[in-house]
Amino acid sequence: MNKPDLTKPTRQSTRGLLLIFLFSAQKFIRVFWPALLVLVFQNKWIQNQMVVIIILVVFLGLLIVHTILYYLNFFFYIEGNEFVLKTGYLRKQTLTVPIERIQSVNTKQNIIQQLLDVISLEIDTAGTAGKELKIHALDKYYADELQKQLRAVKSKSPIEEDPDPGAGAVEEEKEELLLQLTPADLLKIGISQNHIRAALVILAFGMQLFQQIQDLFEEQANQYSSRLVEFLSQSNWALVSFLAIFFLVIAIFFSLLRTVIKYFDFKLLKKEHSYRIEAGLLNKRNVIVPHYKVQQLNWETGPLKRIFGIYHLVFKQAVSGQNRRQQQQLVDAPGCLATHLERLKTDLFGEDILSGLPKIRTNSYYFRRLWIFYGWLPFIAAVPFLYEQWLFWMGSVVWVMGAAGYSYLMLKKRYFKVNNHQIRISKGAVSQRWQQMELFKIQSVEFRQSFFQKRKSLASLRLMNASGSVSIPFIDEKIAKQLYDYLLYHTEISEERWM
Amino acid sequence: MENFTNSVILPVNLPEIDSRDFNPLNRKYLIILAIRIVVLFLISAGGLAAFLILSDEKPPLWIILSVVAFIFLLIATSALLTFLGFPKKGYLVREKDVSFQRGLITHRVTSVPLNRIQHVEVSQGVLAKILGLSTVNIYTAGGNSSDLSIPGLPVDEAKRVKAFLSGKISDYE
Repeated sequence: MNKPDLTKPTRQSTRGLLLIFLFSAQKFIRVFWPALLVLVFQNKWIQNQMVVIIILVVFLGLLIVHTILYYLNFFFYIEGNEFVLKTGYLRKQTLTVPIERIQSVNTKQNIIQQLLDVISLEIDTAGTAGKELKIHALDKYYADELQKQLRAVKSKSPIEEDPDPGAGAVEEEKEELLLQLTPADLLKIGISQNHIRAALVILAFGMQLFQQIQDLFEEQANQYSSRLVEFLSQSNWALVSFLAIFFLVIAIFFSLLRTVIKYFDFKLLKKEHSYRIEAGLLNKRNVIVPHYKVQQLNWETGPLKRIFGIYHLVFKQAVSGQNRRQQQQLVDAPGCLATHLERLKTDLFGEDILSGLPKIRTNSYYFRRLWIFYGWLPFIAAVPFLYEQWLFWMGSVVWVMGAAGYSYLMLKKRYFKVNNHQIRISKGAVSQRWQQMELFKIQSVEFRQSFFQKRKSLASLRLMNASGSVSIPFIDEKIAKQLYDYLLYHTEISEERWM
Repeated sequence: MENFTNSVILPVNLPEIDSRDFNPLNRKYLIILAIRIVVLFLISAGGLAAFLILSDEKPPLWIILSVVAFIFLLIATSALLTFLGFPKKGYLVREKDVSFQRGLITHRVTSVPLNRIQHVEVSQGVLAKILGLSTVNIYTAGGNSSDLSIPGLPVDEAKRVKAFLSGKISDYE
């Protein structure tokens, strides 16, 4: 294969035209979907087909023109020590990034990109927020070459402040496979997802859809729904439980499907100072996570996961740019065994000292607050509307007692462990989640004390890092204050690179 | 080795953060807060009035009255909380961190170490401009959960704070 010249300004792949078109169409629809909905559901408009056709033609024409102009004005090349990206036809924009400031080069490939044999490349730079470099339709060989080149230049660069020397040429050679998920693993992971949540989502979605359809075809729907209500009111518990099981089965099916799509052929690879994650069926992704960028490690297990002995692990990273949520979702490993977990913890945090330390538990007043919040407040809010129905009072007893049980579980699982360098927080109700971070990654600390907490000399803390925050509710006021002062001191004297 | 423990050893004489050391905000900032409440009142009262005038079917009187009562209650509590809570607001710039405190019912103190600040900005709304006040916005990396903003400072004080913080940031880089 002939080597592409990276210093020459290059356009995206011509096959990318289709992709740009689809992307723009998607963006357009996302912005104007309320207007489109009105257009579709207002029968008046639909009847006048001419109007609809004209609108569609104008819309398509504009999109095609936009696509071609966008394509023609999109260039990228390497110039000296900088990677340059030029975009825009109405508002021209030139983005340049010094190559040694590039932190990671990630690739993704969705189903359309797989069909077109192009990939999308994301270049993440250090710190500079809002500066996102994304190329959506890159020829594969060009992308490989670019990735190689960027890494090579980086490793040659004289600035060795980067604590990640392995990110250079070395990483090509040795890469250790830490974790690979087989279809059997995916099955386990899919089964052990939170199905109740999934079922509720599906139910809510179904209800919404039902309501929309009802609005649309009011008359017919009224007939059907009255028949349905009649049917439901005549039917017995067997039917209700059948429906519940039915929803659960659908939920399990969807969880499985989602797991397979998201984590198909999942691989977690370790280089000297970074991890690489490869996964996906429709959306193939390839993400590099340098160790120093991990702000926080979260791991979680639930009742079903415990049976299989697996944990869901998330690397919380500092992410520059706007699409924080999107990127954060990517860097997780869904089915780790305890050994994997230990290994990763050792990589990131060194020797495990925290496990041997005493748990500092949240005060039992936390239970009271949770119970009031989840149990009593919703109940009291509902009384004025439903007090006439005896079923409401029955349900309320179950609700309030259930909330008590839930709050108790939440209290039991809430604790933290801390030493001079790290903190680990445990939380959860049915499932249990741990969050661990290096203390010098802290970006700000918040001390919180309500009037009520003050009377009991309790307080809450929240520690923020570049990827989010962790909270420590309802601990002794004195401990909270000491910890607050210590955390500030520790961060302020730290000279380590925190992101 | 049975009794081996390794609990946190706190360095002695760690500087403590004391809410009494904080600098209060300028009294004029209270005017801005009061105007905000008035605007909130006007919007909700106006909304209710517009609804009553424009709607064909008038809802029963008790519903209207309870909505009115709710609006008054809301305005009264927010006014009370704002005025009583104002003295609780304050900021503190120390050698190595900057803090802001607020809250009457729930007292909150947030501190940002200076070596974690990405950049500092002074901003000014229309009202603040008339009153000669500014807000200092302090940004950290990543998200906005750990950002801090100090409102209600006289313009020159805000500039001084910004200049101090900016100087410190460039020291750390």
